[in-house]
Amino acid sequence: MADDRRLRILAHLLGDESELENVRLCEVCAEVTGMSGAGIMLMAGDVPQGSLCTSDKVSAFIEEAQFAFGEGPCVDAYHSDLPVLEPDLANPATSRWMAFTGPAVDAGVRAIFGFPLHMGGVRLGALNLYRDAPGALTDEQYADALAIADIATRAVLVMQSNAPLGQMATELASGAHFEYVVHQASGMVAAQLGVSVGQALIRLRAYAFGNARPLRAVAEDVVARRLRFDDASGEQDPT
Amino acid sequence: MSREESIVRTFVELTDTLVEDFDVVELLTVLAARCVDVLDVAAAGLMLVNADGELRVIASSSEAMRLLELFELQSEEGPCTECFATGVATVHPRLTEGDLRWPRFAPRALEVGFHSVHALPMRLRGQTIGALNLFRIDNGSLTEADLSTAQAFADVATIAMLQNRAASEAQAVNDQLNHALNSRVVIEQAKGMVAERDGLDMEHSFRRLRAYARSNNLRLVDVACSVIDGSLVAASLDPKVARRDV
Repeated sequence: MADDRRLRILAHLLGDESELENVRLCEVCAEVTGMSGAGIMLMAGDVPQGSLCTSDKVSAFIEEAQFAFGEGPCVDAYHSDLPVLEPDLANPATSRWMAFTGPAVDAGVRAIFGFPLHMGGVRLGALNLYRDAPGALTDEQYADALAIADIATRAVLVMQSNAPLGQMATELASGAHFEYVVHQASGMVAAQLGVSVGQALIRLRAYAFGNARPLRAVAEDVVARRLRFDDASGEQDPT
Repeated sequence: MSREESIVRTFVELTDTLVEDFDVVELLTVLAARCVDVLDVAAAGLMLVNADGELRVIASSSEAMRLLELFELQSEEGPCTECFATGVATVHPRLTEGDLRWPRFAPRALEVGFHSVHALPMRLRGQTIGALNLFRIDNGSLTEADLSTAQAFADVATIAMLQNRAASEAQAVNDQLNHALNSRVVIEQAKGMVAERDGLDMEHSFRRLRAYARSNNLRLVDVACSVIDGSLVAASLDPKVARRDV
């Protein structure tokens, strides 16, 4: 049974292509489990590093929001090393993800599920699956999600195993999305305020949340020198 | 303890080592000792193939067994080498002085009191990673029950080792991926810091970091870390400033 499931997923994954691509990986995650979309988040040093792939715009938003707020189903799935299931995000049984939930619901997410990408003690990140309607996963969908999380883990490790030392494999990097501009902005704000880059990132996140703006947009403003954090008046637009 | 209890306990011991502090030598030492406890054999030993494809003695239930296995490897004949080469179970129920099959090995085995030998492959899906040697004082073959129990022990130990190997390979790849991801983040942060302090755009900031790393024979990521933790002041990266210092 378990092998049949894997074979079916692999057949989906490879399709007509002999080369495996990141984007296809996420599309298949959504197709196999019958979800609206899927995304794979890579974690390193216990924080979200970026998105390996997303199948659609909403999934990209989910990944970006988790990166921006440092919370969400992928972050929890990674830390707990267990699946995280929220079948009704708009009316959750227990409220969690204070910052993440509102924007995600506004973006059209009604049910969201996080599955850890792990193999033995090795933890890579998490797979997120969302649907535009509320409802729990069926047993079949749950089993498919576990199987595809396992396959995605192996796919990432296989792709990375051929990478030159100290570098990310090109197959992984292409199609992946890393918020480099946020890290650049962290460096700039750290210099402006004389604080560590970690503290600078917290200030950026707080500003984005307080002004209801995407973290990336705030970071872009900092890098373009439209926004400084060392004004006496506080973190305000200089214009 | 009944035979069944001993067998069950052995399986628990062999799978326990899957969890943490896994050590191959310890696993196989337990396996050799339990074979002697549970099966009708006087001694047991295990050989594993190394990265160069050569068999090595890893665990033995007794010193006499260990010496005999080392001799087997040196003389390149005997149950373990044959079993490893063929990938199937090997049996010799009656070793003799003038043995035609293993003319060098048989006399040595008889010298230390072994009259019959078995070797079982440690294999999973076509991959043979070693062999389990079982030596007896008496002539004759092991019972079917003992043989299948021994093979089950060997199979469980093989799975434990292959899983451990796969997990450590995955760990190494993931460490490398983490390192690559973190390096990139640190470099972007340092670019931002230098850009802010020196009034540069990201491209020129990056060039300055790279030029400093090259002229000082340092890795870019190490320079970036020094900028981030403040041990390298951004201004000292400026070649004009640096020249003035000299």
